[in-house]
Amino acid sequence: MAQCLYTFNVNGHSQTVAADPLESLADVLRDRLHLTGTKKGCGAGDCGACTVLIDGSPVNTCLTPIGTVNGREITTIEGLAVNGELTPLQKAFVHEGGIQCGFCTPGMVISATHLLNDNPSPTTDEIKEALTGNLCRCTGYGGILRAVQRCDNYRGDGTCAKKAEPPADKSRKYDNVNISIPRVDAADKVTGRAVYTADVTLPNMAYGKLLGSPVAHGIIKKIDISKADALPGVLTILTGADVTDTLHGVSPARYDEEILAKTKVRHIGEPIAAVAAIDEATCKKALSLIDVEIEPLTPVLDPMQAVADGAPIVHERYKGNINTHVEQEFGDLEKGFADSYHVREEEFIGNHIQQAPMEPHASVATWDHDGTLVLYSSTQVPHYVQYMMAHVLHIPLGKIRVIRPAVGGGFGGKAATSPIDICSALLSKATGRPIKMVYTREETFTYGRGRHKQYMKFKLGVDKEGRIKAFKSEIYLDGGAYSSFGVATAYYAGSMIPTLYHLPAYRYDGYRIMTNKPACGAMRGHGVPQPRFAFECLLNMVADDIGMDPVEIRLRNAMDANTMTVNDLDIGSCEYKATLEQVREKSDWNNKYGKLPAGKGIGIGCGGFVSGAGYCIYRGQVQLSHEKPREHFQKKSIFPHANAIAKVSEDGMAVVLMIGAADIGQGSDTVLVQMCAESLGIPASRIRMRSEDSDISPIDLGAYSSRITLMGGHAVSRAGTAVVEKMKPYAAKLLGCDPSEVEARHATMFPRGNESHTVLWEEVARQYFNDKGPLVGTGCYKPPDGLGGDYKGATVGTSPAYSFGSAVCEVNVDLETGKVKVEKFTDYHDCGTPINPQSVHGQVEGAIVMSTGETIMEDIQFDEKGNILNPNLHGYLLMTIKDAPEIFSGLVDSYESRGPFGAKEIGEGSTLPVLGAVAHAIANATGVWIKDLPITPEKILNALRKKQESAEAPSLAATR
Amino acid sequence: MRVCMPTTLSDACSMLADAGTAGRVMAGGTDLLVDWPQRAHEHDDTIWIDLSRVTPLRRITCADHVLRLGALTTYWDVVQSEQAAEAFPLLKQAARVVGSLQIQTRGTWAGNIMNGSPAADGVLALMAYDTTIELRSTAGVRRVSLDTFYTGYRSTVARADEILESIVLRRHRYRIQYFEKIGTRQAQAITKVGLALTQDSADHSWRVVMNSMAPTVTRCPALEGVLSAQQPMAGPDAWLPIIDADVSPIDDLRSTSRYRRVVAARLLHSALADRCDWIGQ
Repeated sequence: MAQCLYTFNVNGHSQTVAADPLESLADVLRDRLHLTGTKKGCGAGDCGACTVLIDGSPVNTCLTPIGTVNGREITTIEGLAVNGELTPLQKAFVHEGGIQCGFCTPGMVISATHLLNDNPSPTTDEIKEALTGNLCRCTGYGGILRAVQRCDNYRGDGTCAKKAEPPADKSRKYDNVNISIPRVDAADKVTGRAVYTADVTLPNMAYGKLLGSPVAHGIIKKIDISKADALPGVLTILTGADVTDTLHGVSPARYDEEILAKTKVRHIGEPIAAVAAIDEATCKKALSLIDVEIEPLTPVLDPMQAVADGAPIVHERYKGNINTHVEQEFGDLEKGFADSYHVREEEFIGNHIQQAPMEPHASVATWDHDGTLVLYSSTQVPHYVQYMMAHVLHIPLGKIRVIRPAVGGGFGGKAATSPIDICSALLSKATGRPIKMVYTREETFTYGRGRHKQYMKFKLGVDKEGRIKAFKSEIYLDGGAYSSFGVATAYYAGSMIPTLYHLPAYRYDGYRIMTNKPACGAMRGHGVPQPRFAFECLLNMVADDIGMDPVEIRLRNAMDANTMTVNDLDIGSCEYKATLEQVREKSDWNNKYGKLPAGKGIGIGCGGFVSGAGYCIYRGQVQLSHEKPREHFQKKSIFPHANAIAKVSEDGMAVVLMIGAADIGQGSDTVLVQMCAESLGIPASRIRMRSEDSDISPIDLGAYSSRITLMGGHAVSRAGTAVVEKMKPYAAKLLGCDPSEVEARHATMFPRGNESHTVLWEEVARQYFNDKGPLVGTGCYKPPDGLGGDYKGATVGTSPAYSFGSAVCEVNVDLETGKVKVEKFTDYHDCGTPINPQSVHGQVEGAIVMSTGETIMEDIQFDEKGNILNPNLHGYLLMTIKDAPEIFSGLVDSYESRGPFGAKEIGEGSTLPVLGAVAHAIANATGVWIKDLPITPEKILNALRKKQESAEAPSLAATR
Repeated sequence: MRVCMPTTLSDACSMLADAGTAGRVMAGGTDLLVDWPQRAHEHDDTIWIDLSRVTPLRRITCADHVLRLGALTTYWDVVQSEQAAEAFPLLKQAARVVGSLQIQTRGTWAGNIMNGSPAADGVLALMAYDTTIELRSTAGVRRVSLDTFYTGYRSTVARADEILESIVLRRHRYRIQYFEKIGTRQAQAITKVGLALTQDSADHSWRVVMNSMAPTVTRCPALEGVLSAQQPMAGPDAWLPIIDADVSPIDDLRSTSRYRRVVAARLLHSALADRCDWIGQ
């Protein structure tokens, strides 16, 4: 198409660009003007991340053809802060917890700016109305709402005080932890400066795209690329014939994914070819010219049909389509049920949902002349990407440099090495040019790795006092076409049930089933939210059956501190009972449960999670990953899971903290800086985090299993301590005391107990450098040896520490339409001693909104051929700001002795109470239990109708 | 693919005529650019007539009981027009539930009509009023009642060479004006059941319109007949057979046929029981 010249004003300056008239304004801003603060999250006007103002009105730039903006005035996120000074609204976002991953932030700030321009003092409803077009997956909208509400506090001089260091409070035990400081990356994210993978542009860069299989199950007969190859602008095309046979995946025993499908395809969208071209549109055009002939096989989409005799087989190696079968039994189950006063058996079905972070996956690959691969990836596990790239490319780990730019959310969806990580590297190798590949929103769905749909059959026995005697769980997990994280998922679905209640006898049978759908993977709460939902519902049913209050039955069974569970998990700190008592009181439970009018309901759910997995995904030592593991697994970690270096600048005024931990929006960079600062004895503002580059930062296993606060926290605080230990002799000399007496605090060093006799911290650091050269400390963390029992799968669920939480949900159900409005949540968590309370509450609020969406609206739907019917954010529904409930998030006093500064996890455990609480509240409001998720208005009306019909049936019979 | 950017309506008509069957008209572009540029190659042969520079088409005029919306009038323009909102309040209600504010500032009423989605919320409100559309071509102007515009799923009586120039609403006095949209979430929802109602206070005639209940947004003559006859209704279920005479909702990814029928009946009953004493309880 012919390009034309367009002239318009951007942030006060006239710009002229040559473009196709139908090129989107988003692409022009990002690719031609390099204003990458405007984000692309969906390409369909659903998410609002690309919002800018045109002549003062907010628009989705992804839907705005450049031809229509000629002569108009455009304000992007880059145009708000003047001369680097944040606007009051931007400051409010920074300080009120309005930012997590930051991907929605520019659009959100633009929409809120538009609101405040017209209406400086908006009501809460007006704020929500103005922000309905901006989806956020992290914050639950709480921090965003507060930022807009409190924007006035950041006008004028008030802002300076907010920006200053908090004054040193000498009475506090800690200066830098257990305190809410703004995120270290907040200012970059609120101004659009933060660079995400899709924002990376390298010289001479070209683009790549994958061709996905059009059928769910079939044999590849022919792939003819000749027409596509002849298309001008196409650089290279790879098919299965061009790549190695090396299989990849997550669980080493079950690598089963090909780089590009060679002979068989197993789900729609499975990559079968990769194209590199000068731009994305040419890539896409080339894909449409590739001639693919696939002999279709009957697909199997329903896991319960997949295990039936004669079902089509997805993989020859998984007999009967069973990917893994977990069989675990603890205690005397038969006796437990025999001794029970009441036994109830129920079936529940979870839903297949997608992490749907606001940032779609992206990768940019380039090769250095010495043969080093440099891969920018929006991953939450840079080390495992490095490991898997070494495996598929047959090059040493040391020849791979993974750079993790800012990541716009992950929630588990970015926990596996993706096809675009691998194919961008291969296309870059083949073309000799940097290659960028970015998933469309649709491709994030066909790539999959979402939550497994679980079919759960539960049986619970209790005695007269409501004490659990036995519990039996049988779960079928719909795994999709590949293993990915699924073996671990199947184990997690069973292993975490005994952490919350004392179970004297427990049996778990888990089956992960292969089907012709995108592979499922690890999602926030990994395998546990659905069984936890089902268990909490069943416990509430049983409480009703025996006439006991749901909170009371929990208190009678609740886990206690320092307990070894029936499946050999080592519970340390545990304030679960305190969370129950607190939510009961705060929500006014006793005056509400059973006393609300029809249509209004209250419910409770609880949960808890690991603070880091006890063992690494692969066993043995860090190695060339295509070698066989060299050391036998011996219930101990071979290498440290988290490693940090603290390097002091030569003038002593700054510390660079290096650790390969992945901040994906959860705020790990900030809490790690806080913990390192605490052990160094300097303010957090003196520390710069370098976590993004594997050439700089030592291995941390990444953002999964809620591990960074505990494991990374130990590593960084040990690195800080190591620095201080090196400084002590120099400080002692200046202070005239013994090195063992030296303490570091408030950027000074002093003899213990004599804080008035100080020497400046930086002065000591300078003395060290002058004498010995670089002042560097290192620290690392290995989980304790011997975690877990001696049965198959005993490692899954092991952790140094466990979190606990309780939530009460209040809903309003319109009995005419079945529409549910989740009005309010009251949540208390035991996350140990919080490092950054504002971040903790941000995780809780985000988890409540995300998991409420999971409970009432999110669901991936397939047609009979295996196509996803809703691979977009208008068909697959995320909660908007108007859907989000009012949330109270509280913390109970707790200290975990195995955690740094007493801390445990919050990121995933915070999801677990939510599903059961919402389901219970809806049941309480309507009188009907919906046991298959999501609980849609359609299901509610059906259940109400069936209940009414069965109530009427006897009377009809009587009249006959 | 080619894009023409005329500055006058007559140029636009000529360009569209010249383009023949390859011609397509665009206004706000909010439907066109979905999943762009991945879908660009599907339009290789299309000649786009972009109306964005035909600025007179942005105009809203309100005179002599007639509201005229130009082809480029956005939802947001109507929200901000006091005259339009006062004369035809359902338009503002509809505008605020179309997508999000970012869509409302770009999306046009004309695009909503011409795109022909059965879930179009703008059309739902327009059809509840006495609305005519003016279709312009090189041959002149043709006026079509919105009631008879749709012939089937995404098909209309408009010819390939016609451009929707303006939407003309004739103002009556109304005794009842009602608009309700049921979606799965509280905002940015695609309609599962949509209902708009008006009753003229002079001749007592009814307009009952539904969306997402049939292949097109549609008026419901059977329901209108029942209302005109002031037929008492025992309860929500009594409306079901009449709804079935007018519409044929389907099961799809957003909802079920049963849900749509039942909820439409309940909406009708609760909307009217309050306003019409002859309905009964």
